[in-house]
Amino acid sequence: MPTLTYLQAISSALRDELRADDRVLLMGEDIGVFGGAFKVTDGFVDEFGTDRVMDTPLAESGIIGTAIGAAVVGMRPVCEMQFSDFISCGFDQLVNVAGKMHYRQGLAVPITVRLPSGGGFSGGPFHSQNPEAWFMHSPGIKVVAPSTAEDAKGLLHAAIRDPNPVCYMEHKHLYRRVKGDVPSGVFETPFTARVAQPGSDLVVIAYGAMVPVALEAVSDGLDGASVEVLDLRSLVPLDEEAILDSVERCSKVVIVDEANATCAAGAQVAALIAEKGFESLDGPVIRVATPDVPIPFSPPLEQAVLPGVDRVREACRELLAY
Amino acid sequence: MSSSPTDVLVDVTMPQMGVSVAEGTVVAWRVEPGDRIEAEATIVEISTDKIDTEVPSPASGVVAEIIVPVGETVDVGTVMARIAVGDGAGAPRAQPLDGDTAGPPITETKSSIPTPTPAARNGNRRYSPVVQRIAAEHGIDLSQVPGTGRDGRVRKQDVLAFVEASPTEEPPLHIESPYRPEPVTPAPAPASPEIDGGGLSRMRRQIGEHMKRSLDTAATCTTWIEVDMSRVEAARARLGVTALAFVARASIDAIREHPALNAWLEGEKYTRHSDVNLGIAVSLGDDGLIVPVIPRAHELSVEGLAARVKDIARRARSRELTPDDVRGGTFTITNPGQYGSIMATPIINQPQVAILDLEAVIKRAVVVTDAAGNDSIAIRPMTILGLSWDHRALDGALSAQFLATIKRNLESVS
Repeated sequence: MPTLTYLQAISSALRDELRADDRVLLMGEDIGVFGGAFKVTDGFVDEFGTDRVMDTPLAESGIIGTAIGAAVVGMRPVCEMQFSDFISCGFDQLVNVAGKMHYRQGLAVPITVRLPSGGGFSGGPFHSQNPEAWFMHSPGIKVVAPSTAEDAKGLLHAAIRDPNPVCYMEHKHLYRRVKGDVPSGVFETPFTARVAQPGSDLVVIAYGAMVPVALEAVSDGLDGASVEVLDLRSLVPLDEEAILDSVERCSKVVIVDEANATCAAGAQVAALIAEKGFESLDGPVIRVATPDVPIPFSPPLEQAVLPGVDRVREACRELLAY
Repeated sequence: MSSSPTDVLVDVTMPQMGVSVAEGTVVAWRVEPGDRIEAEATIVEISTDKIDTEVPSPASGVVAEIIVPVGETVDVGTVMARIAVGDGAGAPRAQPLDGDTAGPPITETKSSIPTPTPAARNGNRRYSPVVQRIAAEHGIDLSQVPGTGRDGRVRKQDVLAFVEASPTEEPPLHIESPYRPEPVTPAPAPASPEIDGGGLSRMRRQIGEHMKRSLDTAATCTTWIEVDMSRVEAARARLGVTALAFVARASIDAIREHPALNAWLEGEKYTRHSDVNLGIAVSLGDDGLIVPVIPRAHELSVEGLAARVKDIARRARSRELTPDDVRGGTFTITNPGQYGSIMATPIINQPQVAILDLEAVIKRAVVVTDAAGNDSIAIRPMTILGLSWDHRALDGALSAQFLATIKRNLESVS
């Protein structure tokens, strides 16, 4: 089993799908000759040609709108947003056209939109956001967010093969930092949560780049407590069963979002627990998230707002003592 | 006892414990006139039709007057007692700063007011949902559990450790009927002195009255039918629910076909109901029995019914039912099968017209006929369903049809 980085796992999934299925094509800004801003599609144009690895104008609504049309007539387009922040220019096409096409006209829109997201590299307010909750709020769109190399490949295969529009949140900070064994060939990871580390006294619920943060935060044992880490992997659909199962066993919950706190994915998880897990709780549901501010350029300021290992560890300690 | 002129009197009234409750009876006062009482502390125990409950004090102050004595029944809203609040009942009043300290003496009542002690506050501890649930399931008095959380808070691990340390028998989460076999009383030793049982409990007396009144009122007949529970047992193992939930669902479906069974007969007034509000008899052990109601049970799946049955049983045992939880039933099921009894003649829960009895499911050798008409003997989990019905409201043919429909539904569970 080869060891790949998170980024290589994404490239591998794209390459395998292009080879396996003529209907798959890639669209995005500078993904062809240049190989993509993060080199995810480096060399693809040589193997698959410019018809299947298409450089597009700087117009996100055009990329997604074209992909929707192609999907409706039977193609499986994969759109790359250069940075997930730029999706706001394609918002109408994704939310109103792609998300509601099946409801309005009974037509499937099997597009995948890759969204390089997240901060931690001083990219500032236009290149560091985590917009997943915008799409969770809009019916008709699935949202997934891998945290490991294996899931990066498996979830991307599953997203491309899913008949619905899928937002695939790939975290830039993980691209070259996360490595792991990844099975060769095509495999689909189900849109369900995964217990990243089992435990019984407290559960930290996270996804994407916050999963390695959570694992590091609890790695020193937290004074002998048994702490579980649940990696959501999929935000829509949300794996209620896995969440409630962890809550029932652990009774104390810390939820970590890198996104701005208000109405983030973690807020939905907290609401779910309040509604359906109330009888299992032994303390308040604690959230750790980025405050409702733009992501600063300044490295120390950015580190101050993003949830880090220390904040997660402190929240766990506080709640364990409660 | 008189209150100071500056006191404000707050009424303690008979609370509205449920939309359908009109009156309540005072069971016990926790205070006497002159006692200090904190807001939210229990001041009086009351009893409505079936539910006994504690009434919190509406204010902190001194009990000025008790108006309704123990044993008396009064309408909702009736003033039962008065509490004096205000400076006359609170902290000692500041003296007027006119230099003349030889003012009139402050009323004597204040000198006898005990100040709240820290112990009283400890009695007011709050517990998390999971701690309360574990305590209710194991019948634990949480005030006995030492807390190791912040400020002595009782955490989940504390109550679990307490359960571990004092293994109490968990009450079976099984639904029982009042028709339990008489407990085997050991032969009394010679010259053993009689033990004063202290008379029948309130609940025992009420159950007795209800049962006797039903037998005096209804023309009660009982019909039985034998049911092959193979499919239910298989489905039940798969879903992890009790047979009772399947019988409840099968009964509700049968009521759809025979709505005459889902009715009330009050005197000569016969009322059919479109909703099935399903009563489930829950044993409270030595204390007696209560029949909480699952409203609009026809809207629930088997899993939904199982969850609701579990919920009402738990709430019944932890004394959390409200009067509304035990009202409005249109049909009742009782399930005393855990001791292996196979038949009973249940008494109808008035003013309903029928009650269904589910007893033990027992493996028996039965004759089965295959598709080709060949008979053979097979081992099958069988049960006998009993239906007590009111001959004033319906006839035996209908009750038999109703039971046959339930049988058909249970034997075709998929």
